[in-house]
Amino acid sequence: MKLSFKKKALVALVTTGLTLTAISVGVENSANAAGVNPKNIVFVASVINTTNPYMASNIAGAQALGKKLGIPVQIVDSQGSSQVEISKIQAILAQGKTVVMFVNTVSSSDAPIIVNAVKKAHGFVSIWWNKPDSLEPWNVGNSFVAFQKHPGVSSGACDADKLGAALGGKGNVIELPGVKDSTTSVTRVAGFETELKAKFPNIKILDAQPSNWDPNLAYNNTKTMIAKYGNTINGVWSADDAMQTGSIKAFTDANLVNNVKFASDGLYADTIAAIKSGEGNNAIVGETFHRGYAASAIGLYTAYLAAIGKIDPSKLPHSERDSMFKIACVDSTNLDQYTKWDNNIPGWIDQLIKNGPWNTQPFPLVAGGPEKTPAGWASQF
Amino acid sequence: MKSAKCHSLRKGRKEENMSQVSASEKAKLSDSKFEASTLKAAAKKNALIKSLTEPAALIGVVIILCVVFSLINARFYGIVNIRTILEQAAIPLILAVGSTLVILIGSIDLSIEGVMGASAMSFVLLTANTRNPHDHGDVAVLAGIATGAVFGFASGYILTKFKVPSFVVTLGMWFVGQGFATMLYGDTATPYMTNSRVSGWSPRLTFGLPNAFWAALIVVVLGFLLLNFTKLGRSAMAIGNNESIAKTTGLNIDRVKISIFTFAGALTGIAGIIGAIQLGSGSPDVGKGSLFVSVPAVVIGGTALAGGRGGVLRTILGVFLLTILNDGLIVAGVSANYQSGVAGLILIAAIIFALWSRRDKLGVAK
Repeated sequence: MKLSFKKKALVALVTTGLTLTAISVGVENSANAAGVNPKNIVFVASVINTTNPYMASNIAGAQALGKKLGIPVQIVDSQGSSQVEISKIQAILAQGKTVVMFVNTVSSSDAPIIVNAVKKAHGFVSIWWNKPDSLEPWNVGNSFVAFQKHPGVSSGACDADKLGAALGGKGNVIELPGVKDSTTSVTRVAGFETELKAKFPNIKILDAQPSNWDPNLAYNNTKTMIAKYGNTINGVWSADDAMQTGSIKAFTDANLVNNVKFASDGLYADTIAAIKSGEGNNAIVGETFHRGYAASAIGLYTAYLAAIGKIDPSKLPHSERDSMFKIACVDSTNLDQYTKWDNNIPGWIDQLIKNGPWNTQPFPLVAGGPEKTPAGWASQF
Repeated sequence: MKSAKCHSLRKGRKEENMSQVSASEKAKLSDSKFEASTLKAAAKKNALIKSLTEPAALIGVVIILCVVFSLINARFYGIVNIRTILEQAAIPLILAVGSTLVILIGSIDLSIEGVMGASAMSFVLLTANTRNPHDHGDVAVLAGIATGAVFGFASGYILTKFKVPSFVVTLGMWFVGQGFATMLYGDTATPYMTNSRVSGWSPRLTFGLPNAFWAALIVVVLGFLLLNFTKLGRSAMAIGNNESIAKTTGLNIDRVKISIFTFAGALTGIAGIIGAIQLGSGSPDVGKGSLFVSVPAVVIGGTALAGGRGGVLRTILGVFLLTILNDGLIVAGVSANYQSGVAGLILIAAIIFALWSRRDKLGVAK
């Protein structure tokens, strides 16, 4: 059979295409099967900014793990912008080394773009905190090793328990959620409101003003709510400690801090100091404990194990690929047992390497995701 | 003889005509002079009316907002909320005075958020704080202001000497300021002020009003005096009106522009210090969101973005309109889901109402 030139060219093109596809699939599979040489790996930790204490802790964890494993670390400062985040990550992926990445996403919608870029570059990524519920690692492939977070509902519920108990089960509280449409904020608000309603029905939520994780905005919003409700406010719940800082300052300026109780999430260094000093008549009554260094180290280490072939992500249970790690409920009585690693991050990294990403205290894996808000909950504000 | 008579008659008529023409021309001339002076007087009157009606309309809008918010919640006009509004308006007022001056010379300053962070961090690290043992008292305040002034000077210098548009220079300076602030912030714990006399200064009352507001008032008066009673202010207006003509009069354009940017930078420094004091700590992000309050406030106040027209006092109205709107919507109990949209709608309606008297003059809206 004689083929025309055009047909020959078509056959050649199809054959070449199939061969290249087979090679590229082979490269990806062989990378997973045999594992990448650690000498060719670079760690990348992408954070939303470099000034928030939590983000600074993310960086510290990545650097400590990199130092322990002898792997260079690059930091991506997203400057609070999805565009900056994505363009910087794409630039790093173009550098050529095998990238093992931890990304604290600016917003949920960034996750698919980042995951696809990493997949194309044959890298390995763990995403923390934000992704669309529909984006699951097992549907993407081994490059998207895991999505990890601490449960927001548990965080809010913990604060509701502590604040409700401190107020004796009655009174009025105000809320300072984070960015209104952030999954992290929404789940924390849902947990707080559901728990408060169930356990402390005589506590009324007067108002909620989203303050975008920004202490300045939290300060101004709190001042306006103080003007509106005066000394009828008995408690304040904030979705994170940065906003709580602004809120406490507003109550201090209004000479009301001694009459109000606060609960929040994050247990920043400044919050620990305020709890220990009993600031404002022991104003801070509840906190949730999780750490930025643990998040970045767990994320990077999980992706690293996949990169060197120690784990095959496709064979992991779903709970180890869409994971929720323990968030502890803390007050002045049990503070010290949780904060012991804060000044010894390398010591905790040793524990992580010894026990693996899913079994290291005080942040063991507790459930698989995606996290759902409690049934029947709808924000009243 | 007949022809001679006719000639003399014609000559006489011509002279008569000429005298008649010149009389009518004279009359016309005197008429036109009268008209000109009448027009001038009318124009003056119109300008006076306009200068009064524009702010009056804005004042009217502010009063209407206050009445509506008060009717919804009586706490709005309570003394606590009034003080809250005054304290919240302090930083935008200070920034807006600087922005007004910069806009009047036909430029723009986008650097304020970064420069505020740099000034705030300089101030906090030199006053009593949890990060280091420094406590330089008033020197820390001067250092914060000086930091802002240096950034302002740098913007002005690059703008004038390298002929780079202010939009670009100040955008770059924003990131330089932010970077400087981030470097000072480092990656250890947040530096908190340890002297409660300093950290509690902003809301503390003097003659019944918050200190931060008094500081803003002083800045407004300084800005007003500078603009209306100094050579620098008049030169700034002249440059904004027509830089080419101003140049032909021998005005040192570069010096005026650099001075205005330096002054505005110093004001940004003051705003950064007050922001840090309100928070009780140092943060590179202390100025977050400030740009999108101060520049709109200037424009809402009636200062033309093209320069040469407007003033500091009008800007106050713009600042209060925005501050009252933000505060009022919360006090009125508008859901957070709708606040942003409602604020935008009220703002557009308010501006249409306030600028209604000028709609005929604005042939083209860009």
